[in-house]
Amino acid sequence: MPESSTISEEFLRQLTAVGEVDILVGVPTFNNRDSIERVVSALQVGLTKYFQRERCVLINPDGGSTDGTPEIFKNASVRDFSMLLTSNPLRTFHRLSAPYHGIPGKETALRTLFTAADLLRAKACAIVSPDSLSITPEWVDSLVRPIYRENFDFAAPVYQRRKFDGLLVKGLVSPAVAALYGRKIHEPVGTDLGLSGRLACHFLGKDVWEQDITTFGMEIWMTTTAIVDDFRICESFLGPKIQAAKQYGQDVAGTVRQVVGSLFRCLDEHEPFWKGRDTCEDLPLFGFQYDVALEPIQLSKRRIMDTFRSQVDQLVPILESILAPQTLVEIRNVVQLADREFHYPDELWVKTIYEFAAAHHHSAINRDHLLQALPPLYRGWVSSFVSQNQKADAAKIDQKLEALSHDFERLKPYLIDRWNAEAGGER
Amino acid sequence: MANDALWYKDAVIYELHVRAFYDANGDGVGEFRGLTLKLEYLQDLGVSVVWLLPFYPSPLRDDGYDISDYTGIHPAYGDLDDFRMFLEEAHRRNIRVITELVLNHTSDQHPWFQEARSSRDNPRRDWYVWSDTVERYKKARIIFTDTELSNWAWDPVSKSYYWHRFFSHQPDLNYDNPVVREAMWGVMKFWFDMGVDGLRLDAVPYLVEREDTACENLPETHGVLKFLRARVDATFPGKMLLAEANQWPRDVRQYFGDGDECHMAFHFPLMPRMFMALKLEDRKPIVDILQTTPDIPDNCQWGIFLRNHDELTLEMVTDEERDYMYDEFARELRAKINVGIRRRLAPLMEGDRRRIELMNGLLMSMPGSPIIYYGDEIGMGDNIYLGDRNGVRTPMQWNGGWNAGFSGADPEQLYSPIISNPVYGYQAVNVESQRRYDHSLLSWMKRLIRLRKTTRALGRGTMELLAPENHHVIGYMRALANERILITGNLSSQAQAAELDLRQWRGWIPIEMSGGNLFPPIGDLPYLLTLGPYQFYWFRLRRI
Amino acid sequence: MKLLVLQSMNQTLGRFYDMLLQFLPHLLAMLIIFVAGWVVAIIVKIVARRLMALARVNTLSEGSGITQILRKADLPAPLELLSRVVFWVVWIAFLLLGLDALNVPELHVQIARLFQLLPDIFVALIILFLGFLAANFFSRAALLAAVNANLPSARLVSGFVRFLIILLTITMALEQLALAQRTVLITFTIAFGAIMLSLAIAFGIGGRNVAQGMLERVFRPALSKKEDDKEKAEEIPPL
Repeated sequence: MPESSTISEEFLRQLTAVGEVDILVGVPTFNNRDSIERVVSALQVGLTKYFQRERCVLINPDGGSTDGTPEIFKNASVRDFSMLLTSNPLRTFHRLSAPYHGIPGKETALRTLFTAADLLRAKACAIVSPDSLSITPEWVDSLVRPIYRENFDFAAPVYQRRKFDGLLVKGLVSPAVAALYGRKIHEPVGTDLGLSGRLACHFLGKDVWEQDITTFGMEIWMTTTAIVDDFRICESFLGPKIQAAKQYGQDVAGTVRQVVGSLFRCLDEHEPFWKGRDTCEDLPLFGFQYDVALEPIQLSKRRIMDTFRSQVDQLVPILESILAPQTLVEIRNVVQLADREFHYPDELWVKTIYEFAAAHHHSAINRDHLLQALPPLYRGWVSSFVSQNQKADAAKIDQKLEALSHDFERLKPYLIDRWNAEAGGER
Repeated sequence: MANDALWYKDAVIYELHVRAFYDANGDGVGEFRGLTLKLEYLQDLGVSVVWLLPFYPSPLRDDGYDISDYTGIHPAYGDLDDFRMFLEEAHRRNIRVITELVLNHTSDQHPWFQEARSSRDNPRRDWYVWSDTVERYKKARIIFTDTELSNWAWDPVSKSYYWHRFFSHQPDLNYDNPVVREAMWGVMKFWFDMGVDGLRLDAVPYLVEREDTACENLPETHGVLKFLRARVDATFPGKMLLAEANQWPRDVRQYFGDGDECHMAFHFPLMPRMFMALKLEDRKPIVDILQTTPDIPDNCQWGIFLRNHDELTLEMVTDEERDYMYDEFARELRAKINVGIRRRLAPLMEGDRRRIELMNGLLMSMPGSPIIYYGDEIGMGDNIYLGDRNGVRTPMQWNGGWNAGFSGADPEQLYSPIISNPVYGYQAVNVESQRRYDHSLLSWMKRLIRLRKTTRALGRGTMELLAPENHHVIGYMRALANERILITGNLSSQAQAAELDLRQWRGWIPIEMSGGNLFPPIGDLPYLLTLGPYQFYWFRLRRI
Repeated sequence: MKLLVLQSMNQTLGRFYDMLLQFLPHLLAMLIIFVAGWVVAIIVKIVARRLMALARVNTLSEGSGITQILRKADLPAPLELLSRVVFWVVWIAFLLLGLDALNVPELHVQIARLFQLLPDIFVALIILFLGFLAANFFSRAALLAAVNANLPSARLVSGFVRFLIILLTITMALEQLALAQRTVLITFTIAFGAIMLSLAIAFGIGGRNVAQGMLERVFRPALSKKEDDKEKAEEIPPL
């Protein structure tokens, strides 16, 4: 076990007082004062309602919030349990604060939680993002029960998304993970998830912590590592996901860079695994699924198309170093299309991604620059997808995404070829 | 006998049934002569009060709580002379005696009821509650839900209904009738005159009925109690009234009045929570109930207990808590009865000596006067195959021989079979073998009772709960005048470390009471204590 | 008379012969040095190529895009180019040495001076090379940042960054060679200052609103949040 240098003495003292627990729930925060109280109340009610006899603890690793988030966390209390349709808790409810210093990143927070899970011998853990306004007490049950009672190791969330929400995940990350790692996970980058104590200790023992860990996107690393190291994975339906507005949020480019970058780095690390896989499994899905009428996201197709066109034009010299010539030609043809006929074919999109992945692997150009060259192309695909499915309903869209997923699978040999080719060779 | 008006605040009470203790005349049933012979054992144990379950003439359809003569002794247990001799002997050994007074109802075999029912014009008619319809007092709940369908029973003799909160053969007395009150005062006077030191008032919340109410805890009921108490104070100072009211603490509080009703009352809700805290390995249930227990007048006292002659009642807990208790403590279906568990202390603790000690250590140090149920001091077992609550009322196990030394009669004659399984049977668990060695449970209990009697702070002092971060450990401070007693207990089956905030007693030195050894003095830093599984400490704090 | 002419011719020939005899060894030496130098240069070129391959110069230059530029300019790959440069540098050094062996005094001085210059030239070449690498890298970074931030003239920004860095590089190289130091310095300062000034004017007057917006965003976030939100509503949600 790596040194507990991320655990402060005060936190360690609190952990000692808690003793062994059955369930550990972690909420990493950084300036989340708008939503943290609701999240804590929902978690407390959920634990009381669904795990009344279990020993539970709620931990808050905070990266140095300046808006009073840790205080709100400590003081949020449920006044009247009977009004929330549950009785008073049987056991003492433990709530621990674990402030950490340094870069307010997921990595340190998660490492703190995993270390705590190890020290407290927790059987099941859940990690909940602090900005979910749509959280209900049932989330606790959905994330923890498959781990605690059904013996799974990893429970990924399934959200009901608004139409056209989360296209980066639905159109790139999820089908790529499905095709390459062989498991159909809807949300490989979900920030609410459940994991077993066993898996948490396993993560803790990995040497990713020794490297420059801020380069990794933790969620996708956890998901892919759990798959590769053969842990039992399932999914759990949580319902709609509505997040509090972030003050210092990332824009599209930054998110694409981080998410896709971490996906590519995972591909590097897990090369032998995904090259050898050729089947794709569905995962067991827990939870009562329901549909809530959600307002679709409003997008201005035309603006996105225009942006796509101008951006691609300007990036051609860079794209030449990344993509195959044929692919670049096809993309430039798409740029020429008029709005009405605009169409970024799925197959082209898959090839784009795979060529980027291979180029990333070979470090054809500086990796960071490579990832920054992707968002414009993503825009192109999005605007094409949106305009094709403007009037489609959820089922139709699911079908389309299913087809896209098949394309990812079908073209996997193409990726393997480009991956294996010598650097600077087949161009 | 020491003449202290508040003797009940220092009391250690021993609850027993005459018929279960010792049979001197060989008829298979214990009686007063036998009990008198065993007073030496009780004196040796160190208890200061004996509480006797009902021994009055009775058809015994409710284990003696259906009384047909308030001022007699059931022939099976002897006669009034035997009782007087027992009383005298007890007092000679400095042991006080509490008996039962069932105020609320009599047996339907009682002459009063026989007369009252004979005709509508009978002078005693008004001693009971009659009605021509069952529509009256509709809001009162039924208590014995297993057997009764209504609080009204039809009397074929006088062709009307009579009111009964308990079994149908136990008609309620009518306390709106002043003659009834005087009659009951007469009963009390009879026993107090004889020398009885206290009376347990059974089923006290149900004395008075009023339309459109639940007929429990009514102000008129309290009026009756104040009336009786006033008479007691005037005529028999130093006698004690103990209320049996199975209610939430804030409702039981009313039975103390302003110090002008009952002297003592049982703290029912605390008891299941002690068991629950032990299973959860979390002090929260105990702390919660103690924090919601109101203050009581200075001359009043709680009666606290672990087990008694009834089932371990789970009426005063939530549904979830009840389910938890059933799942953890009553794995066999037969152990459940009414709303409770009919097991003794030792089987509930799975025979674990450490747990039994911890529970007693907490019982003897919590605010109130502790009550020990006969047989629990040697760790007697129970028999869940006997009907009703009889499984916890088996004969006292004195030795490993004939009938466990309880009686010389044939085993088939005994009023109840004796526990004889290899774990709790009389060969394994009995007074004689435990008396002989120092580390038996009996010897340990004697030492604990002796320790308790070295200080008045435990019976009379204030209580301050400590809150160490480690929820497995419970800690509290008892204080009286200059005395400070610190109690800590580990409710978990694993070793624990706890830091106590004792800063306000900075400079005091804790001295562990059973060994007399000094512990490190209290400083500014949190006081670290490590406790083994189920271990507890009693510390006397001393200023150097 | 004929004898005088013959004698004079004999003398001249004799002197020429002497001079030749004197000169020939130097010439031979020069030729040998030329040949030896050529051989050494080739060896050094091979060694240099190995060393650079080890130092992954190829990857570095590909990463920063130099390879692409060279290819466009129809030049060979950087590794090849560099090794050729090394070859030439070494051989020129030997050529100079050889010339020096001719023992022509004026040539001595010049050659000595040239030799003094050689290390400076070498350093200048390295500066140029690194400068080009940096120019490429940063201009590309600027291009990507500008494109992703949706600036309309991303190419312009990128070209501008490259121009600036190359300008700086050349200036540094020239300074290294100690050629017209002061002139170069002054020219560079003027050029740089002018560019900055024009940028400031353009931004401050022409881009007044944008500047205002940016300052507001920093010092009064709540106010500008609304506008931000409206803008973001039309953009794709990140995740």
